[in-house]
Amino acid sequence: MNKLMRRYVPFAKAGVQSLIIYRLNFIGFVVGGLIYCFVMFYLWRAVFDSNGGGAFLGFSMTDMVVYLFLSNTTSQLIFSDVSNDIGQEIRDGSIVMRLLKPVNTDLSYMFAELGAIVMKLVVLLIPMIVGLEIYRFCTAGVVMFNIVNFLLYLLSAVLAYIISFRVNLCFGFIAFYVKNLWGIGILKNSIIGFLSGSLIPLAFMPDGLRICLEYLPFASMSYTPVMIYMGKYGVYEIIFRIGLQILWAVLLYGLSKLIWFGAIKKLCVQGG
Amino acid sequence: MRRIWKIYKLLAAQNLKRLMEYRADFLTGAISFLIDQAIGIAFIFIIFTQIPQLAGFTFEQILFIYGFSQIPKGLDHLLTDNLWCVGYFIVRKGDFDKYLIRPINPLFHVIAETFQVDAIGELVVGIVLLIYAAPNAGLHITVWTVILSIIAVPFAALIYTSLKIMTSAFAFWMKSSGFIIQMVYGMNEFSKYPVTIYSFPVRIFVTYIIPFAFTGYYPSLYILTESDPLFNIGGVIVVSVVLFAVSLLIWNKGISSYESAGA
Repeated sequence: MNKLMRRYVPFAKAGVQSLIIYRLNFIGFVVGGLIYCFVMFYLWRAVFDSNGGGAFLGFSMTDMVVYLFLSNTTSQLIFSDVSNDIGQEIRDGSIVMRLLKPVNTDLSYMFAELGAIVMKLVVLLIPMIVGLEIYRFCTAGVVMFNIVNFLLYLLSAVLAYIISFRVNLCFGFIAFYVKNLWGIGILKNSIIGFLSGSLIPLAFMPDGLRICLEYLPFASMSYTPVMIYMGKYGVYEIIFRIGLQILWAVLLYGLSKLIWFGAIKKLCVQGG
Repeated sequence: MRRIWKIYKLLAAQNLKRLMEYRADFLTGAISFLIDQAIGIAFIFIIFTQIPQLAGFTFEQILFIYGFSQIPKGLDHLLTDNLWCVGYFIVRKGDFDKYLIRPINPLFHVIAETFQVDAIGELVVGIVLLIYAAPNAGLHITVWTVILSIIAVPFAALIYTSLKIMTSAFAFWMKSSGFIIQMVYGMNEFSKYPVTIYSFPVRIFVTYIIPFAFTGYYPSLYILTESDPLFNIGGVIVVSVVLFAVSLLIWNKGISSYESAGA
């Protein structure tokens, strides 16, 4: 265990450092997300007004605000850019340096991101939760914060990250075939944004589509944790959803390994 | 002028050759933007399965506004995409030297260098939405509304371009301004929906400060209601020209404080 830490902690430190050095890009990213949330906030407010101001498919306006901001924050928290990193490294050949080191390739990528995630937890998630709880207190007049739900949210978010990481790993291998990484990035983000319910709560989608999406791994990436936090799920449903997350994490772990072993044999670095 | 056109054609031809070489890349880019758009529309569609009207607009009218807003956005994306690179890395790496030592205007050179076909995604979606929504949106189609709203499109695109010139020029002082471009450009989200849904301060902000409301809502409102052409169309022209002048000023000031990178 100790040996493991000694081996991987430097990756995590490097992750934190790169976040600090590129902090302006990070701030830009966060502010961009907030702008999007505000546009959506006004849009939903207009929808609620047009609907007579009452609840909309079981969501009150307060719920909607919590959902919007928390699902955006969750997406940023568990955001994984490993597909892009792998793509770049395959392209310029530097992946060889990673393969030469006596470390597990997946874990070295993961720890670099974990460093950044711990930072985001402190500067992003905690202020957001405090802000949302103050908002809920002001609109409802009672404290609605539930520590059990919050802890379950964290557990579910960890699983969400593992799934997000594995999905990204699979996407990263597309770089073996396509050069437009940037286009793939846009494609990946918009597909995940839609399928994970961070754009539109899955509860609002037509029934058939909703049921399909709820079982796909994408819903596990932000919808599940946020719904748990909001107390929308009962005990059995929480157990079921978290079980589903674990199942997907295991399946995607296998899939990414499978693709990796196939792809690594094809790796051909020119020059280097 | 003739010389400029000739240079532009040469550079565009270079771009098309590159496009032919990397066809899969082009497809990935265009399809990505297309899907990104499709999701935005799915969102509107899902909302309207629950309510008949949004802020007094019908489904078709909202689609019309959304579609209209994508055309200037796509036009700007098609022609001036290289400005992003100036903000993100051209200045930081010292590659901007290249533009300064050639006998053509650096801003023109930067813009002419890239012809970003990915933008087809936005343009196609914009046009398809306009065609789909037009028959049922209750448009006031007269000679004037058609002519004026067509005139508004390039000016609306100029709003995007000016904001990009301005924000990418900050890189001359800060080395890298990608995140500022991203932040300001990201506000175009506000242009997709009627500004009447926003609260008063936000409305003022997207009309007069980062004037994205003029790239979508106001010109489409004119063709929807035929009201107030002076503000809805005249505003687009005035705002874009003023913004463009300011952005050129900042750009030129920025170039004079440009320092190349060491290496």
